[in-house]
Amino acid sequence: MIRQLLALLPRRGGAAPIVPEKSVAGRTLLLLITIMAFLSAVTLGGVVLVQKSAIAWSADVGRELTIQLRPVEGEVMESNLRTAVSLAQSTPGVGAARALTVEESQALLEPWLGAGLDLSAIAIPRLVVVQLSDPAEADVEQLQRNLQAIKGASLDTHAAWRQQLNTMAGTVVLSGLLVLGLIGVATVLAIVFATRGAMASNREIVDVLHFIGASNKFIAGEFQGRFLSIGLQGGFLGALLAILFFVLIGTAAGSVLPSEATAQVGVLFGQFLLGLDGMTIILAVVPVIAVLTAVTSRVTVRRYLSEAS
Amino acid sequence: MIEFSDVGLRYGNGPEILKDLSFSIEPGSFHFLTGPSGSGKTSLLRLLLLSIKPSRGRVTMFGEDVGNLNQDGLLQMRRHIGIVFQEFRLLDHLTTFENVALPLRVLGQPESEYRPNVTELLEWVGLGERMHALPTLLSGGEKQRAAIARAVIARPKVLLADEPTGNVDPDLSSRLVHLFAELNRTLGMTIILATHELPLLDRFSYPRMVLNKGELTIHD
Repeated sequence: MIRQLLALLPRRGGAAPIVPEKSVAGRTLLLLITIMAFLSAVTLGGVVLVQKSAIAWSADVGRELTIQLRPVEGEVMESNLRTAVSLAQSTPGVGAARALTVEESQALLEPWLGAGLDLSAIAIPRLVVVQLSDPAEADVEQLQRNLQAIKGASLDTHAAWRQQLNTMAGTVVLSGLLVLGLIGVATVLAIVFATRGAMASNREIVDVLHFIGASNKFIAGEFQGRFLSIGLQGGFLGALLAILFFVLIGTAAGSVLPSEATAQVGVLFGQFLLGLDGMTIILAVVPVIAVLTAVTSRVTVRRYLSEAS
Repeated sequence: MIEFSDVGLRYGNGPEILKDLSFSIEPGSFHFLTGPSGSGKTSLLRLLLLSIKPSRGRVTMFGEDVGNLNQDGLLQMRRHIGIVFQEFRLLDHLTTFENVALPLRVLGQPESEYRPNVTELLEWVGLGERMHALPTLLSGGEKQRAAIARAVIARPKVLLADEPTGNVDPDLSSRLVHLFAELNRTLGMTIILATHELPLLDRFSYPRMVLNKGELTIHD
């Protein structure tokens, strides 16, 4: 199919290619570019996944505040809880506020203290979960000021978590882009070597073209056409494999891992779903790799020809 | 048309291959270039083809000092010169037609424009029936006629031939030289044909440029 599409590309004069289709280190270079395109696409896909998950997670956490009420001698916890809930509900931008029951609070401690313990004798801190209807409009400072009236009350906006998450996601994205840059450099170097090899093995064609009056520009154009074709094929195959990879990983994560693990992985990576924008970014690898191949080979061919002449 | 004045050539720091060459070639003339192996025939042809520069002296072609030309100027001048090699140097993956059409493709002509000319020329050199064959399927004589057709398709002013009869039998050699003579007579092409086959030269009365140990003498 790719070959049929490439056959539709405009060709100089519509005649047979001057540089034979199978001579430009053909299959090896095609395989190499396919692998490079696949690695680029997988890295890009990973970056997109992390970025999307970080944004979604950050947005979820940002929609919630927690009021913590520590037990203070002389204070009635239940009464303070009601006051905190009503203060929260009267704050602009707050959608709902609810105090966690004693059982729910004890359940939160289970991972640290173990199950089956009777905690009724211990005074444990209680929490009020505040859902924001509009994080941008919410007057968190007002709520914070009002809560000062309740002894032992404090407000957690999760800002530190969000910042840490954003820093981590930023680091992953930056690392991904760095890896992408290194793949790009490796691709360029591989194409340079492949081009020089192809030029050497096609020396006879280059000489004949020179003898019949072809300019370096013409010869470079003929070789560039071959490399553009290989770049397009390799880029397309690599991107296709990367999309299949993500589909397979998504399916495998859903069926192989137990449901709890799937849920945790899902929280972190958004179920490996790239979405339309992720697919578009992966497909953008195709023209980028093709152009990179064509431009690199053109520069290499021009340099080779000027050295030769 | 072509003028050499005190031209010398050496490769790197080696000995002088060509020494004090001074001669002129008139438009529409036919010259044999001969001499023993290693006498410098191919080097002189390479100078005439502008693929190398002389170590000293001056070469003038078509009224211009070659030494003053830049890369583009040399390219434009080279397009007025056709070349035929002993080993044909056809591109094996292209058909005879495509090989012969190559100089016109290089000049940017569309196939619809050059097809009739190439077909006519191939018929003229006797390859009308073989135009779609790959060079690997052609005989030695057919390959050389295809190479000659490729060299003249863009109507160069000068045609150089480096031992064009080296890979064919004596009878075919004579017929090939007749083909060059025909091109010279009908198209007015200036021809310099290098060969070391003396019996072949004796069959024609064209002037001979004889190279011996890098020195040139011309016998009219």
